[in-house]
Amino acid sequence: MNFKKQFREGLLTNNPVLAQLLGMCSTMAITTTLFNGLGMGVSVTLILICSNVVISLLRKIIPDKIRIAAYIVVIAGFVTMVDLILKAYLPALSESLGVFIPLIVVNCIILGRAEAYASKNGVLASAADGLTQGIGYTVALVVMCIIRELLGSGTFGAGVLGADGIRIIDAQYPALLIILPVGGFLTLACLIAFSQWLNRKLAEKEEKK
Amino acid sequence: MKSFGYIFRLTFVLLVITVVVAGLLGFVNYLTEDKIAENTAKKAQEAMQSVLPAENYEEISLTKEHTDSGISEAFRCESGYVVRVSVNGFGGAVDMMVGIDQACAVTGISVVSHTETASLGANCTRADWQAQFIGADGELSVDKDGGSIDSLTGATVTSRAVIAGVNAALTFVKEVQG
Amino acid sequence: MNIFLSLFSISLSAILAENFILVKFLGICPFMGVSKKTDTALGMGIAVTFVMAIASAATWAVNEFLLLPYALEYMQTVVFILVIAALVQFVEMFLQKAMPALYQSLGIYLPLITTNCAVLGVALLNIQNNYSFIESVVYGFTGGIGFTVAILLFSSVRERLEDCDCPKAFRGFPIALLAAGLLALAFMGFSGFKVV
Repeated sequence: MNFKKQFREGLLTNNPVLAQLLGMCSTMAITTTLFNGLGMGVSVTLILICSNVVISLLRKIIPDKIRIAAYIVVIAGFVTMVDLILKAYLPALSESLGVFIPLIVVNCIILGRAEAYASKNGVLASAADGLTQGIGYTVALVVMCIIRELLGSGTFGAGVLGADGIRIIDAQYPALLIILPVGGFLTLACLIAFSQWLNRKLAEKEEKK
Repeated sequence: MKSFGYIFRLTFVLLVITVVVAGLLGFVNYLTEDKIAENTAKKAQEAMQSVLPAENYEEISLTKEHTDSGISEAFRCESGYVVRVSVNGFGGAVDMMVGIDQACAVTGISVVSHTETASLGANCTRADWQAQFIGADGELSVDKDGGSIDSLTGATVTSRAVIAGVNAALTFVKEVQG
Repeated sequence: MNIFLSLFSISLSAILAENFILVKFLGICPFMGVSKKTDTALGMGIAVTFVMAIASAATWAVNEFLLLPYALEYMQTVVFILVIAALVQFVEMFLQKAMPALYQSLGIYLPLITTNCAVLGVALLNIQNNYSFIESVVYGFTGGIGFTVAILLFSSVRERLEDCDCPKAFRGFPIALLAAGLLALAFMGFSGFKVV
């Protein structure tokens, strides 16, 4: 199995957010602090691995006609479990992510990977796919969070490194706008543009070889 | 009869998956239920302690008129009252605790949960904004209407909602005191 | 509060100030995916509005009469998504039989609606906000209108973006996102933004 290639794909060339353009609702909505981004990323990665494994196991049993309904039930089950566990053991995270935890059900990344990968491949490969795609998603979220938090509130790591994080820019300067919805669109646009540029450079370099 | 068998198989597979998922969820819920209830109760308790500290709180029974005005719980303690009000803000319900002393003056407010816009209405949880309410005893209003409370945003929806909640709590306590 | 006044305030905030796409970030995928042409955007908007209104009614009823009496609130997400998936299927079959013309124009968008976060989002928000039946339906319907307004505005901006000359890296998706960001900035005016 080519884990290294999968990893590269998940992180860069086929990153779920930056290249496949999936799961954008949560990417823009919750990336205001590092705590949110990490929490969301880890939750989605866990759910993605579990649902990929189960769907890969069941791929021969589930008839083609009802596969989407069956996938949705499996995914919704895992999402609810994560939701309940967060509510019980990490109430602060559950509160700040709010409705976006149950909405992981309709996060296109999970259904997309189930349909495009897990329903056609073995259990181990599907688990690896879940892990690498999940990491790709988490990295994209974390980068968004770091940029938005720094420019919008002037801090780093709020919630992870102490309640207010480390203050980098004096409180009167940050552009509040970046934390608001507008900032989500603008930051993601620049990030995708950057990844397109990077991918093109990498492709050009490989061609030269 | 192939089609019947096929439909039966579809139904059966989907049913089994749904039942297994439901069963597992029931189990996880059973495991986490107590902890979640405990978290919620702890949060309410902390909010009550922060607005009006007391050893123990005695619940006051409410009439339908009270619940219609948004009051969901009310407690009596040695130094005054704690009223829990839920008002409609901008993005949905703002659930908060209001502490009121025997002289009918606000001792503090605390927002338990809200869905207001981040960095705008969500600032209603800021301690320095909430501090404006301490000591208030009459009808409150927002600065835009000539009152004493600084508004959080231009549209003042959240500020007005919180003020309405505090006013409802004050009215309630005056009524209870007679 | 007067019932009409409260419905009016729900509608106004759902369409403008708390717009599902531009403020709440729900339903971004179809917003970016099917906004290249104005008429397809309008079709998608109508289909979503329709499903959101019916889904609000159906999930409210399921929650009130099935989940609450048996203390099964934790099953909300699973049950709601199933209800929505079934509903979309029914709407599709119904339209195919009863209104073939409408079906022709909406057909391809209907299955996509199941995984539209705006629909599941409105169902969950109705419960979270403790809305009554009428309030839920109004919120669902006007939320859909808000979706339509946003996607329609955006698609007309995007049609013009097609011929614009912009840096290579920004071509396609990123420039569209930037345009959406400016639209979100404009919608912020409705919520009375005040920089403290």
